[in-house]
Amino acid sequence: MQIGRETPRKEMSQGLLALFFSAPAVLVIAATILAPFGLAVFLSLHKWNLKRPGRERFIGLENYTDWLTDSDFWEPLRTTALFAILAVALIVIVALLISLLLNEKFPGRGILRALLLVPWAIPSVVNALLWKWLLNPQYGLLNAVFFELGIITEYQNVLGSMPSVMIWLVIAYSWIHIPLATLLLLSGLQTIPGDIYESAIVDGAGVWQRFAHITLPLLRPMLSIVIIFEMIFALKVFDIIFVLTAGGPANATNVLGWTIYTETFKKLDFGAGSSIAMLLGGITLALAILFYVFLDKGVEQ
Amino acid sequence: MKQRARIRLAVIYIAAALVLLGTVGPFLWLVSSSFQYERQLLNRPPQWLPNPIVLDSYREIFEGAVLGEASGVPYQSRIFLRSFANSFFVAGSVAVIAVLAGAYAAYPLARLQFRGRSTLLFGILASRLIPALSLAIPIVLVATQIGMSDKIVTLVFINLSFILPYVIWLLQSYFKTIPLELEDAGRIDGCSRLQVVHKIILPLSLPGLTSAGILAFLLTWGEFLFALLLSETPASYTSTVVVSLFATDVDVNFVSIITAGVLSVIPPIGFALIFQRYIISGLLSGSLKG
Repeated sequence: MQIGRETPRKEMSQGLLALFFSAPAVLVIAATILAPFGLAVFLSLHKWNLKRPGRERFIGLENYTDWLTDSDFWEPLRTTALFAILAVALIVIVALLISLLLNEKFPGRGILRALLLVPWAIPSVVNALLWKWLLNPQYGLLNAVFFELGIITEYQNVLGSMPSVMIWLVIAYSWIHIPLATLLLLSGLQTIPGDIYESAIVDGAGVWQRFAHITLPLLRPMLSIVIIFEMIFALKVFDIIFVLTAGGPANATNVLGWTIYTETFKKLDFGAGSSIAMLLGGITLALAILFYVFLDKGVEQ
Repeated sequence: MKQRARIRLAVIYIAAALVLLGTVGPFLWLVSSSFQYERQLLNRPPQWLPNPIVLDSYREIFEGAVLGEASGVPYQSRIFLRSFANSFFVAGSVAVIAVLAGAYAAYPLARLQFRGRSTLLFGILASRLIPALSLAIPIVLVATQIGMSDKIVTLVFINLSFILPYVIWLLQSYFKTIPLELEDAGRIDGCSRLQVVHKIILPLSLPGLTSAGILAFLLTWGEFLFALLLSETPASYTSTVVVSLFATDVDVNFVSIITAGVLSVIPPIGFALIFQRYIISGLLSGSLKG
């Protein structure tokens, strides 16, 4: 408490002052996040199809029960889960490796760290366009590279079939997400004091032992944050699907984000779209809390 | 010992080369492709470097913007420059407004004692946990009803609200690093709270405000979902929307598509590299410090 500094008669109370200062920001946030959220809940409890105007009516939880008994929900959910698990695993593993590299001292380290921002700054839609070009079945660079190296004997249409479409979708998605994860893990690594390693070396610990017994446990709080963030992002993937696969081939990449989009903005069923969006939001929140509790036990916040 | 140090450095540089290749390689290939003839793009094996350097696709975009349909270039090329300007307007406005409104909101959270302080901070942050997709549905519905769809002002407003929580979080953690004594000195000299913010906090926070502004610009520049759902005509298309129109159209030349991609990443990548220190510190403090 800051006692004695305020002269109550001249000054507004600090609460009033806070209200006054933060009002513009809070109003904007309320108007575009809280109000729509309420409206989304409202829509999800209604039959509300723009193709049938005038027939809107309250139906309680029927939209939800319809989804929960429908494979059109469970299959995209499975696809989303598969995508998220693969993407988070790839991002975290690659980011960990790069951050370990950048934690070493060597000339040129600063430049490499700065260049990580190149993929980070690329908008997800442009990233999708880039990978569409790299993976082009007739002229794609990756086809050419693998062909010239003798790994494949003819050009492949990797986006045309499972499982290759999922693998490359995950790689393309991860490419722009790895840099931020790397920088976060690097900042975590830099908080580990160097003398712990020195005494471990004196005790005869090898590289792997140092990693497993010092680096990994001490990095755990930051690893948890990165895993939770990346999971939240991956579960709501949409942009790259829109450009790269449109949910195909044969629904192989139809994630929940894509289902919400088609249901709402193609079939114009706003009620069904809102309810499945709520389900995705609920699942994301539940997983985030679960991960937080399990992974983050040691972190004070 | 010397030998070991040499091996260590060799391993590091091999790894660094791989990371470098993976980081900038795909992007450089996009740039290289954009300077080639369409028929050269179809070469097997591919032509790594453009020879000669062809600027046709870039010229198409400028011609198309000026001459319109008479230029004979694809529809997407004709509307691209306009969308580019729209993106600049939206991202620039969001950056400026978010930093201003965010700074005022962040100050009491960093410095004042009042009931509900942590609730307010938590509420602002938690608002970001609601998936944008579920908010998009009612927002599009209402925007269409009240005639605010297909307007870039709407995009500014929507992006602002998604960026603000992030900016507030970043700035309040930055404000906390400013020594309290400076503020006290100002108040003893008779400054009001508002004057303290204007004369002491904001000038001392320039690096933090810069980080926040650049991050706001970059995040808004890349936004796609609302830009797609709230636009109906070229008047409100942003560059990400036109890029998606390019990328999902099979009838357009590869080189035109690729050129649009390159142009639309020049501002974000340029900013990212020029302001890399600010960005890295912003990214880290935004998600780490309380």
